[in-house]
This record gives sequence, structure tokens and C-alpha cells, in this order.
Amino acid sequence: MPVLRLPKFGSPVKYAYITGRVRAMKTKLVPAEMYARMMNMDMSEIARYLEETQYKDEIDALSKDYSGVDLIEHATFANMAKTFRKLEDVSIDEPSFLILEYLRRWDVWNIKTLLRGKFYGATDTEIVKHLVPAGELSAEYLEELAKKDSITDIISAFDGTDYSSALAQYDGKNLASLENALDKLYYFRMELAVGGTLSVGGGLLLKYVRREVDIRNLITLFRMNKAGVDAAVILENLIPGGKLHGELSRMAGQPFGEFLRGLEGYPFWSSISDIASVDLDAVSRIEARLRAYLIRYAWALSNYHPLSILPVLGYMVSKETEVSNIRKIVRGKEAGLPAELIEEQVVVA
Amino acid sequence: MAVVADAGTLYGLLAVGAGLATGLAGIGAGMGEQGIGAAVVGVVAEEPGFLGKGLFLMLLPETLIIFGLAVSLILMFAWTPFSGIVTP
Repeated sequence: MPVLRLPKFGSPVKYAYITGRVRAMKTKLVPAEMYARMMNMDMSEIARYLEETQYKDEIDALSKDYSGVDLIEHATFANMAKTFRKLEDVSIDEPSFLILEYLRRWDVWNIKTLLRGKFYGATDTEIVKHLVPAGELSAEYLEELAKKDSITDIISAFDGTDYSSALAQYDGKNLASLENALDKLYYFRMELAVGGTLSVGGGLLLKYVRREVDIRNLITLFRMNKAGVDAAVILENLIPGGKLHGELSRMAGQPFGEFLRGLEGYPFWSSISDIASVDLDAVSRIEARLRAYLIRYAWALSNYHPLSILPVLGYMVSKETEVSNIRKIVRGKEAGLPAELIEEQVVVA
Repeated sequence: MAVVADAGTLYGLLAVGAGLATGLAGIGAGMGEQGIGAAVVGVVAEEPGFLGKGLFLMLLPETLIIFGLAVSLILMFAWTPFSGIVTP
């Protein structure tokens, strides 16, 4: 799979169909006020509610194999994979190219799931259940990979592809460095395929992705600075390519108070200013706020460029968030977590 | 007489102008409609109930052709060069 450069074509009209379609699809997303109501429902009520929404087909199809939390989790993942594949199928030229570039993150997710599954000795069927075939690698191909005997067999199946350089880092002991390398590869690839072209659409996608890298790095910094991790270790875990990479890497290893003061004045500060303090108890609250900021950012950008990849991107980010919110609620309820704790984790833009 | 020949040329140019008025208006409306049409089809694929509203939005640029057509009709019929210019 060689890296294809984004061709220099693309008039805004090419985006009219797909943006019209995703704007209609956006109206079918679970409304924000439903999350609070879901907290008070039991598992079967949540499943019944989801059956009235876009998840109906998946809930119906999977209800014979699963029940309760597993049913909801698998149905939401299956629906997301189907929706993203649909977006790819109904778009042409530049939108299709950019959507696929974005969706490769699910290829990375699937490769990670395969490796983790094999690493911890899960069976083929267990691994297949947790795959989300929303990227370029098809469900059949992934299932074939899941049937392979060992991690090295899976890694050798990717020989000659872009992933081989990252997968070569596997040392047989742990997967952390390999997973980090895969994440870095995804962003590096995107930069290589989309960046440096004259296309407006590619530039906009890159603008969003750079902000996303910054937010991911920021979350890493929050976690590691809070835990007092050494600067050199933090720098290893930061993903290059963000707009604020230089500034954020200087913050690695800073004492937490100083780190927080350094963040004041950045565009994302206003969304976390009320909870970011030295005695912060859970970084996941900051994470939820920052993710909400990212969704708002994607939709705000799409208002400036209505006929571009941004509404599609905004939809994909919103959909991913919706699925992860539903998962958080059902998993949290199953584990018996208090409602306030779950509510803090739910991302509402 | 030279004046008559000039009037003929003038009338020919008028006809060209009338053609351009309708033709360019049509091309412009078409360019406007391509985006709206594509977007409407996209929305209708998800929400079939939007078809009526979508068609209405799609036909809005069509009104511009009527302006072009009106200008063409005025050029062709409201004034003829043979009536005013040709004098003995």
C-alpha cells in the first residue's frame, strides 16, 4: 500500500452531495440530553431506546448472539463501521480520498486489537468480536489475520506495506512502543499523503488533524506531568506533527502548577480553565472536556467552509464520540460506578 | 442606403445580445443548481421527506433565467431598428 499523494483537483461542488448527506445524518445522532436520561435507564431500556434510533438493524441482528452490555457495545461498533463504510462508498474523488485517509485510524485500531489479542492469548472469535472494520482493511481480511497463529505471523502479513516499519519495532516483550509507533505512523502518513498539495480540502483536514495531535499530546502531558514522569520519557510518547509541538514539548516534565500556568492563553484553555487546578483529581475529566472542544472546533471550522471535508469530519468525530459515550454509560453502569462519575466522562460538545 | 445596411447589422447584434442574455443566464443558473441539486439528492437519500423542500430550493436559481428571457424578449420585440433609424 504505497502512499498516494492527494491529486490537485477538487472544486467545492464535489463536496455538495456528501456534505448534504452527512448534515442529514447528523440529525439522526443521539441528542446530547439523552445521555443524562440514559443514566437513569437500565440496560434493557437503553437497548430498547437504541432500537428506535439508527442502531436498530445492528441491535436486531446481534441480539441472538449477545445481550446486555455486550449487545449494546457490539451493536454500536458495528453501526459505526457500517456508517463510515457508507460514507466512503457514497463519496468520490477528493472527499473519498480524504475520508479514507482519516479512517485509516481504524486500521491502526484493528492492528492493535489483533496484536493485543494474540499477545494475551485470546481466541480468534474473541478478537474478531472487537474489530471495527471501518478502515481500508476489510472485515474478511482482518478475520483471516485473526486466525493466524502468532504475532509474528500477523506482522509478516503486513510486509511491504507502510505498517511494516512500525511493526518491525516489536521486541517480543511489550506492545507499548509498537502501538506508539503505529500512532505516529498514522499521523506521519496523513501529513505525507495530504500535506503540501494545493487542494483546499486536504489543507483543512490537515488543520484539524494537527489540532487533534496537539490535544492528544496535551492529554499525554496532563497524565504524565501529573504523575511526575521524566521529561525524556514524555517526549518519547508525544506524537510529532502538531501545530504546537515545539511549545508542548517544552512543557514536558514541568511541575504541574507551572505546566497549568503555561497553558493559559491557548485556545483550548477556556474549555478546561474551571477544572484545571493543581489539586486535579482525575485527568479523565480534562480529557472529556478537551475532546468536546475538538468536536466544537471541527464543526466551527465547517461553518467557515461549508462545502469541504470539514462537515464530514465533524460528523465522523461526533459519531465516534457518540459510540464511546454510549459505551462509557453502559460499561459504567454495569460496573456500578456512581452517575456523577460517568457523567463527567461523557463528552458533550 | 448605408443607413439600412447599418440597421440590419444593428438588428443582428440585437439578436446576438438577446441570445446571450438567455443563454448566459441559463449557464449561470445551471452552475448554481449543480451544487444545490447534488446536496438535495444527498439529503433526500437520508430523509425522503425533504424532497419537496429540496426541489423548491433547487429551482430558485431557475428564476434568474426568467430575467434573462425578459431582457431577450424586450430586445427582440419592444424596439426594432427599422422603425426609428431609417429616415428618408
